[in-house]
Order: sequence, then structure tokens, then C-alpha cells
Amino acid sequence: MLITRVLFNRAPKADNFWKRRRVFKLTAHYRGRKRNCYSIAIKYLHRALVYVKKGRKLKKKDAIELWQQRISAGCRELGSSYEALVRGMARCQIALDKKTLANLAIWEPRTFKSLTQIAAAKLRQEPIKGLNDISPPPAGVITRGML
Amino acid sequence: MSNSHMFLPSGFIRTPLQNGLGRYIPQLQRITLKFCKNHGGSRGVRDFIESDLMEFAKTNPGTVVYLKPRRHRSPCMVAEYLNGEREYLSCHEFSRDEVHKWLSYMCTRSGIPVMRFRKYQHTDYPTVQGVWNPFTHQAPEINIAEFPHEVLSRPLDHGPTATEQLIEIFKKTQIEDPANKPPEL
Repeated sequence: MLITRVLFNRAPKADNFWKRRRVFKLTAHYRGRKRNCYSIAIKYLHRALVYVKKGRKLKKKDAIELWQQRISAGCRELGSSYEALVRGMARCQIALDKKTLANLAIWEPRTFKSLTQIAAAKLRQEPIKGLNDISPPPAGVITRGML
Repeated sequence: MSNSHMFLPSGFIRTPLQNGLGRYIPQLQRITLKFCKNHGGSRGVRDFIESDLMEFAKTNPGTVVYLKPRRHRSPCMVAEYLNGEREYLSCHEFSRDEVHKWLSYMCTRSGIPVMRFRKYQHTDYPTVQGVWNPFTHQAPEINIAEFPHEVLSRPLDHGPTATEQLIEIFKKTQIEDPANKPPEL
């Protein structure tokens, strides 16, 4: 047998079945020819994969925006503002993230109210220029400055 | 990637009757092993039955084990759970170890079908203080107030009206009459 000709082959011919199978496994839930015809399916799969990549960042961004909106709504009901709450909490060294705050505003409203009051009391002691407080002084909060 | 291509039902994680909170009750009700006494595909199952089955039955006293020797049939196991679900698994050409492992897998499952979990936490009591409703932060006085109310019917950030401002200005311009002043203590 002539081995030299065989040795000239750089790589074996790939089996297309498996390559296409990888694609069809991901397009199984598509409609029509997009599901079963490779050259059509690959186009739609590529678009889907691009959207998946973009969506990872958008999902996080959307979630943060939603939490922020909910916290802001909860604060405004209590006469505070999102900025006042966040900056007051930062000065009190209370490090609660937006997700937790949004969940507290829904499921533990009294805890959320006390957090707004703590932040408001702190800002009353150490006011921030440009941040107006709308509400009257909160009752039931005792700070070190008062004692 | 969206999980639609897996065709799995999705749901939230749960256990039947809060299993494990108090006592853990294995959810496997009965397991049926069907095998052939001669055919080569049942060899693993036959080896398992000869060696490991008694130990398995002793360690799982709540599970009933049925053996069905059927000629010219490929081996299989059928697990039935306390909530009525059935799991079929073909054991054709399995080794003894494989049978043992799949059997212990069936033991640890509850009958809840395999699904994609949307969240890995679940609670029946998400709130201690009570869920927010529009009346949570309202004063209880609104329950007995009659509307239109002098204070409650006003807009929130109203501020003093023009009439009230004029009254305030008028009061400031007034000179205090010493006769009207209360006596100093």
C-alpha cells in the first residue's frame, strides 16, 4: 500500500453529522425548517446566541432598575427619597443591597420604615448640601447627638 | 441559553409534606425488578440480586421489593412513590454496580417529576410583619374619618394657601396689647 499519499493528509475529514447534531439540539424548539434544516437553523441559532450574550448584562441591569424603582416608591410613600435612604444608610454603615431593600419594602414593611427613619435621623445630624428632606422629624428614633 | 430546548417542565423546589423538617421519610414505596433468568442482558441484575439485594432491603425497611423473573424479557426496574408517580428504567446490559447505583438514586428521589428549578429557595412563610398593602403605613384614623375631611382630604404637599399666608402676615404685623399679655410668673 502507498503510505506516502495518506501521510500527506493533514487532518481527517470531519463528520458533519455530529457538528449538525450540536446545532439541532439547540434548535429543537424552533418552528418549521429552522428546526431541521442546517443552513437555515444555523443563522437563527447564531442570532439566539448573540442575544443570550447581550441578555446576561441586560438581565442584571433590568433587575437593578426594578429594585431601585421599588425602593424609591417605598421611600416616597414614607416621605423620604431613594437618595436620602441610601446616603443616610451609608453614613450609618448599614450595608444592605438593593435586592434586600426591595424585598424588605414588600415583605417586611415595618423594618423598611425603621431604616428610612434611621437614615433621616442621621441626615438631620449631618445634613448633605442639596438633599432636601421632605418629612418632619421621625418619632421614636434616638441618636447619639440627642443624648 | 433559554431552557426551552430541553423540553423540561419548570417549577419551584418543594418536598411532599415538608419531608425532612421533622422526620425524614423515604418516598420510595415499592421497587419492582423484572429480569430474565437466562439471558445475558440480565446478568448484572442477577448478580445484584444474588449479592446486594438483601442488604438493600434491610437498609430500606419502608420500601417493598418485588422480583419478577420473566423469560425472554430485557431487565428493567419500576419505582413507585408515595405520591403515585412511577419511574421506569431499563437495566439492559447493566453491571452490578450500575444497578446498585441507579437503585440508590431511586431511593433518594421523591415522586416529584424531574424539572428545572426556577429558584433554589422556597418558603411557605415569606413574611413575618405582614405583606405590604396600601394601608400598611396609613394612620388608623382614616377608618373612622368622615370624608370630605378637613385635614385628610387635602393634597399631601399642599403648603399654606394664599388666604392662610395673608393671615400669617397679618398676625405678625399686630402690635401686642400689654393688657392681653398673660401675667409673668
